[in-house]
Amino acid sequence: MPYKYIGRTTNYKGKTLWEIIGNLKNFGVGRLVIRSTFERYPETSFFKILKVEPLACPEVQTMDDQRKVRVLVEKTFRGITYPKPITIESTSYKADYQLIPKDEEHKYTSKVEAKRDIKILQRTMEFPPLMKDVLMRENKAKGEDVHDLKLEIIYHKTKTGKYRVAEEGETPTVTFQPNMQELPKISLYKNVKLSSV
Amino acid sequence: MLRIISNLRLLNSFPENMHNCQPVRWRRKPMWLPTAKSKVFRVPPRPQISEEEDNELKRLNNNYRTAMNSIRRYLTNRYSVKLQAKADTEQLKKAFEEDLARCKAINDEWNAELEKVRNERIAKQLEEDIKFAENRKLELLKREEEMLAQAEEIVRKEKELVGTFITPEMLDEAIENAINNPVDYNFAIDLEGNKILGRETTPVEKAQVKQ
Repeated sequence: MPYKYIGRTTNYKGKTLWEIIGNLKNFGVGRLVIRSTFERYPETSFFKILKVEPLACPEVQTMDDQRKVRVLVEKTFRGITYPKPITIESTSYKADYQLIPKDEEHKYTSKVEAKRDIKILQRTMEFPPLMKDVLMRENKAKGEDVHDLKLEIIYHKTKTGKYRVAEEGETPTVTFQPNMQELPKISLYKNVKLSSV
Repeated sequence: MLRIISNLRLLNSFPENMHNCQPVRWRRKPMWLPTAKSKVFRVPPRPQISEEEDNELKRLNNNYRTAMNSIRRYLTNRYSVKLQAKADTEQLKKAFEEDLARCKAINDEWNAELEKVRNERIAKQLEEDIKFAENRKLELLKREEEMLAQAEEIVRKEKELVGTFITPEMLDEAIENAINNPVDYNFAIDLEGNKILGRETTPVEKAQVKQ
């Protein structure tokens, strides 16, 4: 009998990892598996199964207590393959995995990037107008240089290595725009006209 | 109903003249009450946000957070008293040296005082030690004298005894004397505790009990 789901919907789409690899020859070593959650990114993301270690089945298998499995995988996330294989165990119960048929594997593997271009982010930005005015007045009162007041941008630090802050005198590839000086050309702002103050 | 109860509860805590007021806050059910019966099986629809709008919202929020973090960090660095004090190393060094000099002066003062006291104490101690040594020397001499006197006494007594020694010349006489005067060391004790000297002695009359 097919399941009739009631209640709130979920973002997950697929099966648990054990449901997939438990049915495959040699536990599916060498096959590709994807997490549907990672499909939101334009770049390709998938796991290549390297080694499988089955774990004990729960005594009563329910929707809240699914069988887990310890799998060593080569992870490719957003087009970049990790240098070291990772283990999936604590997340293996999530019904979010999908097996890639062998004839479609090339769609994923061919899009792996050898090296990512690192974005160079802007180092400094303009102060907010009023704040800049106050600071300039303060500096003037102190007898310091009032020109060239720039605010150093504090970026959120991540380990993904997709971006870095520009060095002194380096030209950034990405500009930071906190203000509404220039609206992006999207349909949301189609009828908005900025008055030039 | 809930609203009425919570309002009443609130009203009780209000002053007399505020009975006509209606609280704007806490009108709803409190957090710790369970879901209302009519809402238990309600499934709220998921918000449908177009990708374009979602991206734009993310961009705006990210930019806002980055800008705010930058401004906050700048203001902290510029105006934080703690950081300012840390940054001003010259002044810190000067303050430290001043404090050190002050502490040194106090320390020197204490040292001078203590030196005075210590010298006094050492002189007193030396005097006492010399006195003690002298006393000890005197005592030692006295004891030596006493020992010598005791030895002299012993020698004197022995010299006195020398006259009574049995020499080979007077050996026969001494033997004769001993034979002629036999000494009987045996004795008996009767029921009353009297000591009866001699092995062969017969008690002639009843002696008085020795008290």
